[in-house]
Amino acid sequence: MPRRRPWVRTLGILFIVLWSLVPLYWTLNTSLQTDAQISAKPAHYLPPSPTLSNYHALLSGAGEIPDTIRRSSINIVVECTAATIVTVVLATLAAYAFARMRFRGRNLLFYAVLATMAFPAYTTLIPLYRIMSLFGLVNTYTGIVLVYVSGFLPLATWILHSYMTSLPIAIEEAGQVDGASRMQILWRIVLPLAWPGIVSTAIITFLFAWAQFLFPLVLSSDLSTQPLTVAIAALQGRHTVPFGLLNAAGVLALAVPAVIAVALNRFIVNGLLSGSVK
Amino acid sequence: MTVGTHSGRRHDVPPTGTAGPGRAGPRGRRFDLLPYALVTPLALFILALALVPAGVTIVQSFFRVDELDPPTRFNGLANFRDLFADGAIRSSLVNTGLYVVIGVLLSTVLGIVMAVTLQRPFRGRSILIAVLILPWALPGVVEGLVWTGIWDANIGLLNSVLTSTHLISHYQVFLGQHRFLTILAIELVQVWQMTPLSTLLILASLQNIPSELYEAAVLDGCTPWQALRRITLPLARPGIAIAMVQAVIATLNVFDQPYVLNGSADTGASLTMQTYFISFQNLDFGEGYALSLLITVATLILSLGVVKLVYRQVEF
Repeated sequence: MPRRRPWVRTLGILFIVLWSLVPLYWTLNTSLQTDAQISAKPAHYLPPSPTLSNYHALLSGAGEIPDTIRRSSINIVVECTAATIVTVVLATLAAYAFARMRFRGRNLLFYAVLATMAFPAYTTLIPLYRIMSLFGLVNTYTGIVLVYVSGFLPLATWILHSYMTSLPIAIEEAGQVDGASRMQILWRIVLPLAWPGIVSTAIITFLFAWAQFLFPLVLSSDLSTQPLTVAIAALQGRHTVPFGLLNAAGVLALAVPAVIAVALNRFIVNGLLSGSVK
Repeated sequence: MTVGTHSGRRHDVPPTGTAGPGRAGPRGRRFDLLPYALVTPLALFILALALVPAGVTIVQSFFRVDELDPPTRFNGLANFRDLFADGAIRSSLVNTGLYVVIGVLLSTVLGIVMAVTLQRPFRGRSILIAVLILPWALPGVVEGLVWTGIWDANIGLLNSVLTSTHLISHYQVFLGQHRFLTILAIELVQVWQMTPLSTLLILASLQNIPSELYEAAVLDGCTPWQALRRITLPLARPGIAIAMVQAVIATLNVFDQPYVLNGSADTGASLTMQTYFISFQNLDFGEGYALSLLITVATLILSLGVVKLVYRQVEF
């Protein structure tokens, strides 16, 4: 490869680091200041006297805003965890059938599942709301989880199907010769081999669920089910909530996906690429 | 993430009919229930919560559906006529067009720059990839809050830096006054979120380019710039096409970032935001369906257009 001058790549690396991290640093920086410090001009590029008072107020303080943040944090964890578990279990079963079994209607169903991925998710926003409201599932965890699962199942099935078809079939055939049933083969042979694909699928599903906004905005009108994302947007929309408090809430909402993304990025990259290019 | 079907080699022909374990089970030729049991939950979800709702959107966009004033009845193209007669919708149409153009161009160019940076292995590359994907993993709403801290007229980082360096004399309002500036500032936030995936998709294409091509280019006296233009970019076209399609889908349906950064103001409202306002504030579901349908059709047409224009099968 023709040698680029080394500073070109250094410049690229520097750009990626600053581009990704400066905005996040700025939120963290703001969350560690008092409101008087935040409104200084020019701004403090480092917290002059770092304080956790905003976090303290949110996590153990009394009042409507801390209550909202705490309750919506519980909601988002419950909804994302439930949606991830249901999605991964159902997608694993279906992907195994698609990858390893023959049955009538297999191709039709497989293409129908893939076709739903070509439509923007918001195509179904209004009908999903009306279906949920028909069945009394607005403002329930069940309603939100059902909608999330229906939204994430196609991609999860596709990623797991890609992963399972790439596994060598010889081991499964050996299991079959030894008299194992197909469910035993799935449980004892396929799952242990496919676990990196399953982990990728679970992480990507969880991150997508954590990032949802418009669907839960429509499907949960009060604090009983509102996830943290919806609560933060509502607080910001009031224009009266102190910016330090708002940014501390933002850091709480960012921390979970950020830690997952940094710690498990290899799984995310593999999952995304098998789900879209391979 | 909805681009799985556009390219591919290995898995593109999905169920390949591998004679898997159990195909000729002990039960011989009896009807095999197990595969149906395994796919039924998926099939029910897709049917009830994806295909039926999509069908409802298509059909009811030609109906008058008003929760406050039933009954529902057929009214032809009236919903669509009402949409085009509405000034707020037309304004959002222009805004959304700007979001798409700015977002697709910027995320693609930045994605190429970042992918080329990451093309060859170096120490710390995997750490850099972890840093790179960070903005992709975060909720768009909270990213709106994060960037409020940068664009804000009173306490924003940008104002502080620009006044400290004497590029401007006093704090400016970036959001909500000048339309183009507002849209640029909002779309930059979405670009921040989309670019990691664009980069990964393009990078995957770059990794398939055989290094012999570059070695031959060196022998022929190519400069790095020529190698980029004549080898890297043409051979990255599959990845670039998929990256552009995901950007088209995301930008044409943008909601979170303008909603949080600029509220319902005309200067930044997107078409998807109008769908929300029409359906859930005015409770005019018929018109909401019609707008949803138009956005979906536009998304499909634009995505196909990008694929036709940019995608090329690459063989090595």
